[in-house]
Amino acid sequence: MNLERIPNEEKLSLSRRYYLGGFAFLPFLWLVNVLWFFREAFLKPTYTEQPQIKSYVKKSALGLIVWVAVLTTWITIFQHFRAQWGEVGDYLSFTIPLGTA
Amino acid sequence: MRLLQLWAFGFCHLLFMNTSDSEEDSYNERSALVQCESPTIPSYNQDHDMSLPQETDTKRRRPVSSGLDEPGPVERERASTPDGEEEELTLKYGAKHVIMLFIPVTLCMVVVVATIKSVSFYTEKTSQRLIYTPFEEDPNSVGQRLLNSLLNTMVMISVIVVMTIILVVLYKYRCYKFIHGWLILSSLMLLFWFSFMYLGEVFKTYNVAMDYPTLVMIIWNFGVVGMICIHWKGPLRLQQAYLIVISALMALIFIKYLPEWSAWVILGAISIYDLIAVLCPKGPLRMLVETAQERNEPIFPALIYSSAMVWMVGMADSSNPDSADERQRNEGGALAQEGVESEDDATQGGRRRYSAEEDLEEDRGVKLGLGDFIFYSVLVGKAATTGGDWNTTLACFVAILIGLCLTLLLLAIFKKALPALPISITFGLVFYFSTDNLVRPFMDSLAAHQYYI
Repeated sequence: MNLERIPNEEKLSLSRRYYLGGFAFLPFLWLVNVLWFFREAFLKPTYTEQPQIKSYVKKSALGLIVWVAVLTTWITIFQHFRAQWGEVGDYLSFTIPLGTA
Repeated sequence: MRLLQLWAFGFCHLLFMNTSDSEEDSYNERSALVQCESPTIPSYNQDHDMSLPQETDTKRRRPVSSGLDEPGPVERERASTPDGEEEELTLKYGAKHVIMLFIPVTLCMVVVVATIKSVSFYTEKTSQRLIYTPFEEDPNSVGQRLLNSLLNTMVMISVIVVMTIILVVLYKYRCYKFIHGWLILSSLMLLFWFSFMYLGEVFKTYNVAMDYPTLVMIIWNFGVVGMICIHWKGPLRLQQAYLIVISALMALIFIKYLPEWSAWVILGAISIYDLIAVLCPKGPLRMLVETAQERNEPIFPALIYSSAMVWMVGMADSSNPDSADERQRNEGGALAQEGVESEDDATQGGRRRYSAEEDLEEDRGVKLGLGDFIFYSVLVGKAATTGGDWNTTLACFVAILIGLCLTLLLLAIFKKALPALPISITFGLVFYFSTDNLVRPFMDSLAAHQYYI
């Protein structure tokens, strides 16, 4: 879908929906929101709905950063301590790397 | 777990196939519709997957076909209004659109071949088979093996035919919700279940530890954003990427679960079926298109890959509902098709619709059905699996692209719905078998004797 062709109200509504949808544990949706509407929000000449779109993009970016931080922390902790956790580590693991003899 | 997987897979396959049928039909119909409505706009349907973009613009005399065509002279002969400018635009767009199709097809094949070469899961032969290929191939007896693969093919093709007919019936009796639901279920299956399997295998191959919470997050995000992009609204590039990924996933499943010889025979049979279904007057796809044309309805979102945005500059939404629909479809039309569907679609002989926009902006989107993607990738993937070396794989890849070019050319010449599979698959098969049996031993013995040519 091309953003050029749809009217501004629809762009706003789309951005808002993407922003709201991201709260369902969907940081990827926030990322798409930021990337897709970045040009609309910041690089285009001002129009009526632009400040709102800008706010949605900023909030999505904020949420995205928070999620990235959380996930990075968790992944680091898991990868580092997985072996030490023993049974819990195995229980949490989807794939367990095979060791070398 | 494995049994459950297989059963679920088979079941979903059934669903998918059904869905794809519907989709295909809708797609094909659409394409056909557009053609009739706008005689100036040749909508070529290639591969059922592709149909969809309906151009209702009649005004544009744009030689769409020309656009698709690379060679100018062909267009000139046919163009009804051979303006110099039109020809030029045709040439310009033709080459551009061929390239626009090459890139996604190439990407899909690259993904499939890369996975095949690195993740051994997809090349391990298991005793599990799809329910569509019930006969086991016995490697000991050539005759028995051939017979069983032929029987498998017949089973699969008949399943596809039945599904297509069910789809036509559903469409005729306006059971749109049912079809929509099917489509959604199919894409859900593909986006969540198959990608979960794929990710699991990739992690195992690279010996990476992965925990469930992270995995759930990844799959959840991937799946939901995929559903949004494909069935609703999303950035075009992301939609295209999802469609390519989905086609690749489906192709990988086929490569894994279709028995050796059956796969080749099925490829051949599906191309023939595609040809019949699209070109024969009583073919299900054609009937679907006609029905859609009679009703002048937009086709439900089909799984077609849309390579470009179609611009409708100067046309407001309300002014021309058809155009708006068309545009809508073009914009958001590329839906990921379930693999099965694509397969069905492919067999149905999807067409490629080329919508000509009447507006000042000329940027037509070329749409290709997902079934085409899937079967091209299956062919190249199988060549990578069994061919042994890169010569065969590359030969098949080139063959398919040549076939695609020729199909586009034919579309430009005939200006009607044509199946996308036959030419490419035929070339692919010919190249595969000849390279495997003639070129490879030749290259090997050249290398052995250190003789460079």
